[in-house]
Amino acid sequence: MQLGTMAWRTLMRNKRRSVITAFSVGFGVLLSVTFTASGDYAYTNMINTSAVMGLGHLSVEHPDFRDTPTLDKRLVDAEAVQQRVLQISGVTGALVRIMGQAMFASGAKSVGGAFIAIDPAQETPAHNIFLRTLIEGQCFSAGEDRGVVVGAKMAEKLNLRLGKKLIFTMTDKNGELVSELGRVSGIFRTGDDSVDGGVVLLPLDLVRKALGYEPTAASLVAIFLEDHRAAKTIQGDLAQLWSRSKEITVLTWQESQADLAGLIAVDQLFNYLLQFLVGLVIAAGIMNTLLMSVMERQREFGIMMALGMMPGQVVRLVLLESCWLGILGLALGVVITTPWFLYMTRIGLDFSGQIGTDYSAGGVLIDPVMKFRLYRESAMWIAWAVFFLTIVAAIFPAFKAGRMTPVENLKQG
Amino acid sequence: MQIVFFALRNFNRARTRTWITVGAMAFACAIMIFYASLLEGWLAGMEKNAVGMDLGEFQIHGRGYRADPDLYKIITEEGGVLAQLDRQGFVAAPRLHASGLAAAGNASSGIELRGVDLVREGLVTALNQHVWQGQWLAENDQAGVVVGRKLARILGLAVGDEVVVVAQAADGSTANELFRVRGILKSVSEGVDRSGFLMTAATFRRLMIVPQGVQQIVVKRQVPSENLDQATSRLSRLLPNYEVRNWRQLQPVLARLFEMSDISLVIMLLITYAAVGILTLNALLMSVFERIPEFGVMKALGFSPWGLFAMIVVESMLQVTVAVVLAVAVGLPLSFYFSHHPIDFSGFVQSSSTIAGIAFDPKWYCVVTVNSVVLPILFLYLVAGLAILYPALKAAMLKPLAAIYHR
Repeated sequence: MQLGTMAWRTLMRNKRRSVITAFSVGFGVLLSVTFTASGDYAYTNMINTSAVMGLGHLSVEHPDFRDTPTLDKRLVDAEAVQQRVLQISGVTGALVRIMGQAMFASGAKSVGGAFIAIDPAQETPAHNIFLRTLIEGQCFSAGEDRGVVVGAKMAEKLNLRLGKKLIFTMTDKNGELVSELGRVSGIFRTGDDSVDGGVVLLPLDLVRKALGYEPTAASLVAIFLEDHRAAKTIQGDLAQLWSRSKEITVLTWQESQADLAGLIAVDQLFNYLLQFLVGLVIAAGIMNTLLMSVMERQREFGIMMALGMMPGQVVRLVLLESCWLGILGLALGVVITTPWFLYMTRIGLDFSGQIGTDYSAGGVLIDPVMKFRLYRESAMWIAWAVFFLTIVAAIFPAFKAGRMTPVENLKQG
Repeated sequence: MQIVFFALRNFNRARTRTWITVGAMAFACAIMIFYASLLEGWLAGMEKNAVGMDLGEFQIHGRGYRADPDLYKIITEEGGVLAQLDRQGFVAAPRLHASGLAAAGNASSGIELRGVDLVREGLVTALNQHVWQGQWLAENDQAGVVVGRKLARILGLAVGDEVVVVAQAADGSTANELFRVRGILKSVSEGVDRSGFLMTAATFRRLMIVPQGVQQIVVKRQVPSENLDQATSRLSRLLPNYEVRNWRQLQPVLARLFEMSDISLVIMLLITYAAVGILTLNALLMSVFERIPEFGVMKALGFSPWGLFAMIVVESMLQVTVAVVLAVAVGLPLSFYFSHHPIDFSGFVQSSSTIAGIAFDPKWYCVVTVNSVVLPILFLYLVAGLAILYPALKAAMLKPLAAIYHR
């Protein structure tokens, strides 16, 4: 109690030095928030974008579908799975889909691509990026059983317009090639050429019939969550539901979209590493300040020890000074970070002039507007890191102060 | 001269403080040299995968092919074009392109058929050395094909497996043939990985009934130092009847990424060094305030304000220089070590991850360039120079009498 007050007074004796040091801690907080919050925002965005491109945050599928996604592997009663999943809290949507590869042809031209067969009555733009980015026409309606929605790039390649015929060829559940005819009802443009040139939405019922599937069968049920961080827990809950079935498995987005998960992991690693390095430099600054102040006060320590203060108490005093510096720095950090943080959460910085609107990583389009979002655990983590570094920086100066005997100290003055 | 002498002596006075400051600067600088080398290495890797494996430096197409690719928009007199390119100091390889459907077992997928000139392709790209499993194409194995990595997964193909190709041949008939997988490529780019289906040019011509002409010629400069834009316009003038594009035009997203990289390095430098700057500012402030009476005496003895200013600047520049020597001594060997021993991210990244459509190589090498060493050093001087302005000016403007009695 007394030591805490003493530590605070010592800091205030050299206000300029303390404030500059605290400012460097505050600056560290600003940097750390900038890196972490832009990461939290960008990763969340990428994960959610990736989810609405077909597989969801979680997908329930046949165990072999991930390794070789051929159309003979299916969930026979996908509709029942969907109904069960919808009862779980934290799930905002569950959609039955067939996903696979096909060749698309129009006139004399053909291109290969992927298709997603959807039930138009259930799909909404919130869970389907292609319906969100329609530039012409609309999604086929539930009754119109031969509508297709194609990407702008594919439309260009195959000379497709609204109402034009599109022939698609795929392998059915028995390995036979089957062809069907559709008519273009809508055209989307996500901005990513490889997606716009390679993805087609087809009506679920038409594809089921073409592939010879049972009326409730599908490749997968794509599950959408309120918060992607809950994926692991909900996966566990779901896996238990179907633990006895050999035909059903539940994958998180990390498993089904491993490319993306890997990129995020590497990016995160670099992000943390950089923050750690900046933290070390700041810690060196704190150490320097404390060391100076300890050296200056040797005589003072000598008197205090001569008056009965134990070496351990001197050590504690210096550590407490460091704590105060950390707290002061954290407070300063909050003050200088808040306006920046608010600006970045609401408006953000638009880099579309520099990186364009068609930059993708891990198969996902990257939002060119840099914005912030800070998870509570990230904020806690930053606070702890600041505290930890200030304490670590104080260890050497504190022991230097505590090690000397009163007589040596008094002579030093 | 005297100033340097004073500065040198002052360097050794508050040893712990000086060395902590120097140490922090050296540490930050060494890390930034390493970081910059890593960044250069990453860019070099991306360029190697994009340009050296797939795009080539330039591509030549028949007019209208790129906007609307089909089997008939061909470069008819490819022999003449190739000879012309050879004479003008370029290396070039012809490619044939068509799309079709591949089926194996219960799976099928749309594919991009590519006919490869085995002799010339190797001169322009290193795709032949980029085989993950099995072997590259061979002239004496007409039924052997090499496929992209994701395509192999989609179709469940392994080396030696059979695969059926169905496509529409140039004469309107249905091309239909059985092939055997001879090799599977390492990850190249989204397009090649997902739908690349490579065969020899002779097989392609027979299958698709394209007796002459090619859809694409990929070109490389013989002298890599030749300016890309100048070489592009030289090619355009040489071949006025065809479309000439360089890789920056073919992959604008990647080109932008490269342009951005220098900016992002400078931002990183400023951020890291801002922390160093505050540290330096604080250390110098402390050392100036401790010595106010001393400065007062110096001034009273005839030291000019500028002399004092210069002394403090020299003092800190001396510290920065020591830090730079240390940083180079640590950062450079570190970067060189990792330019031979890559950092392996295979544990994190599936080998088919792509950035801007180009494969991301999980083995990451450092590449030490002039930029990656000079920029971090230059910025350290700059930031330290800014940080000492205030303490140095403060010392220069002291009033001698007040300073001597300062406590």
